Amino acid sequence: MFKIDFEKKRIKRKLILASLFCALIFTIIIVTMIGTMGPLGGQGVPEKIPFKAVLDVLSGKGYLWPDVYETIILDIRLPRILLAVLVGCALAVSGTTMQGLFKNPMADPFLIGLAPGAAVGASFSILLGISISISIYSTPFFASVGAMLTVFAVYIIARSSGKIRVETLLLTGIAVGSFLTAVMSFMMYMAGQQFRFMFFWMLGGLYRASWEVVVIAFPVIILGVIIIQLFARDLNAITLGEEPATHLGIDVEMVKKILLIFSSLIAGVAVAFTGIIGFVGLIIPHMMRILVGPDHRILLPVSALAGGIFLVWADTVARTVLSPTEIPVGIITALCGAPFFIYLLQKNKKGRFVSHAT
Amino acid sequence: MLVTLLKIDNIDFSYPGAKILEDVTFEMKSGEFLGIMGPNGSGKTTLLRCLSNALSPQIGTVLIDGKDIQRLSKKEIARNIGVVPQTSSVDFAFAVSELVLMGRTPHTERFKSETTHDFEIAEEAMRLTNILHLSERTFDELSGGERQRVIIARALAQEPKILLLDEATVHLDISSKFEILNLVRNLSKQREIIVIAVFHDLNLAAQYSDKLILLDNGKIASMGLPHEVLTPENIQKTYHIDVIVKQHPITNTPYVTPCPFAKNSEDGKGHTVHMICGGGSGSNIMRLLLDNGFKVTTGVLNVLDSDFVTAKNLKIPVIGEIPFSQITNDSHKANIKLIKKANFVVVTDFQIGAGNLKNIEAAEFALDSKVPVIVIDSTPISDKDFIGGDLEKHFNQLREHQAIFVKNPKMALNIILKEAAT
Repeated sequence: MFKIDFEKKRIKRKLILASLFCALIFTIIIVTMIGTMGPLGGQGVPEKIPFKAVLDVLSGKGYLWPDVYETIILDIRLPRILLAVLVGCALAVSGTTMQGLFKNPMADPFLIGLAPGAAVGASFSILLGISISISIYSTPFFASVGAMLTVFAVYIIARSSGKIRVETLLLTGIAVGSFLTAVMSFMMYMAGQQFRFMFFWMLGGLYRASWEVVVIAFPVIILGVIIIQLFARDLNAITLGEEPATHLGIDVEMVKKILLIFSSLIAGVAVAFTGIIGFVGLIIPHMMRILVGPDHRILLPVSALAGGIFLVWADTVARTVLSPTEIPVGIITALCGAPFFIYLLQKNKKGRFVSHAT
Repeated sequence: MLVTLLKIDNIDFSYPGAKILEDVTFEMKSGEFLGIMGPNGSGKTTLLRCLSNALSPQIGTVLIDGKDIQRLSKKEIARNIGVVPQTSSVDFAFAVSELVLMGRTPHTERFKSETTHDFEIAEEAMRLTNILHLSERTFDELSGGERQRVIIARALAQEPKILLLDEATVHLDISSKFEILNLVRNLSKQREIIVIAVFHDLNLAAQYSDKLILLDNGKIASMGLPHEVLTPENIQKTYHIDVIVKQHPITNTPYVTPCPFAKNSEDGKGHTVHMICGGGSGSNIMRLLLDNGFKVTTGVLNVLDSDFVTAKNLKIPVIGEIPFSQITNDSHKANIKLIKKANFVVVTDFQIGAGNLKNIEAAEFALDSKVPVIVIDSTPISDKDFIGGDLEKHFNQLREHQAIFVKNPKMALNIILKEAAT
């Protein structure tokens, strides 16, 4: 009876996982068709790529259509969509992990100073002009260095006698974050001509996508997500509190370290290439917890898929709604995310961010 | 089943600048239930945390079946020791069944999910703790007692040889307290689990434990069977309060009643009040008089009378008589002697038969020798007359000799206080 209930639960979870996976594939195909060709198409008149053409190109029969279709689908849209999937996945998994580790509903991937750290790094490269002169990757490079240095600094400051208290970590993250925000504001104030670039970077967007970026981001994010998944059971135990988790045989300090490192790593890579895209790492875990319950063994993969799907759609809106102008995707995620989050708070007014497991 | 031995060998634990535990040594084997008591800050919880390896003692070792706990992996420790804390919170909406199944964590490898065996163990743990019907509920929907049962079930799912309870029933209502402790005690006997429980309530500790340890300032002040440990002397030494230790009427375990003297006033000015009482009718007044600074004597009481026990516990001079016999002349004389020294005599509302009629005569003697007598007379005389209707005559005689009749103990006390003031 007991076992049967669990088997049922497992089957249900597998079904949800499978449907989300199908939804992701479906999303990728559909979204590849959406968008105008802008100046590449007819003179001034936006032109749509037919559905059949997308399917043909994706299945390697692109020669049936004009070359420009293939270029747009394979070299512009596809890498951008795949990067959106990776970044959405990274942010959602990182957010889920942080919420579990900190037992805090407001936790997100940027909780311990990642975002302002990356922003300072990026602003630095823009201010010095090296973003243009040396390589298109210098801003992502500086952003990721800034993010990693910040997380490392927060970690070192918060550590005492080899242990990390999550409360201290959180407060240190806020303190360091405020400091870096001030630094960044000063840089923006002094930026003059470059202000627009810095501001644009901070709002986040996937316009930097290319196959090269996807190739760099893919292994790091996938590796991080897999490693976090391996510690899903330990994360479950840690949500009960550190001492109860210890009593269940979990090496809490070790697990905390691994989860912090890898969730910061994947979020850091995401931020480096796309700037600060908010709310994905906050609301996706909440939504998925309502759908599948708090067990991280299912919550993490489901969040990964949902995060990918969500960001792909948000980016599609971002690049099409004012076409040919593009809106930073961070604006779209915040526009969708914030009201939804308020709705969640209203629904769970008791202050607990729990919901019924199914 | 194999017998497990837990050996705590001379452990010392200090936080920087503060020694918490010193020279703690004891041994336990399967199926034993040990209660640990002690005032706040005496090191109870620290001791428990040393046993669960949440803290590492600076000196000494904790050995399970001869193996040093510090050399075991965290998983191995979790397979041996389950812990039930005072309270637990679960911030996420895990179902009860999921929480219990988490107890299988130390038995499951990282890359595997739970097996049929794991489900069976978890289900059995839920059956034993009677929470199968709560299976799909979430933790925050449960009552305090149900929550502790879930936590115990989770600990049982670990299949531990040792179960540690850190004041696990402190926040529960009285019925849940007994429910949880009965459950744990049965588990310890049926499943041969070593149970070590920290108690605040000395009586619960006495009722459920096979052995007790009384900690004081990090040292074992006393260790042994409940009646050996729970003595008024030991409790005075560690908790600094006076207690009366009786036997629990059913379990025969020691039953501790605190009697903290709250001296309200010195209005009694050291005047002596002799009490003529019986059947528990005098106990409360004795204490009231002592609280107000009077000296109290009493007699004659048979040694099984609850007033006699109270007098002994309050260290009041009392003339005792063997049970079921008449007051002897010697006792009566001793009583008269006390009355002569007294400033007041109080006769309480008690039943008078052939055996203790002499006490009424003693009251008459007091009046004759000009000692004021106050008679508390709240029940109809027929209810306390066991000498065939003659009691009324005796009472009338007391009235004639200016005994003061009052309706309740409070009035008696007021009269004595007023008299003592002049």
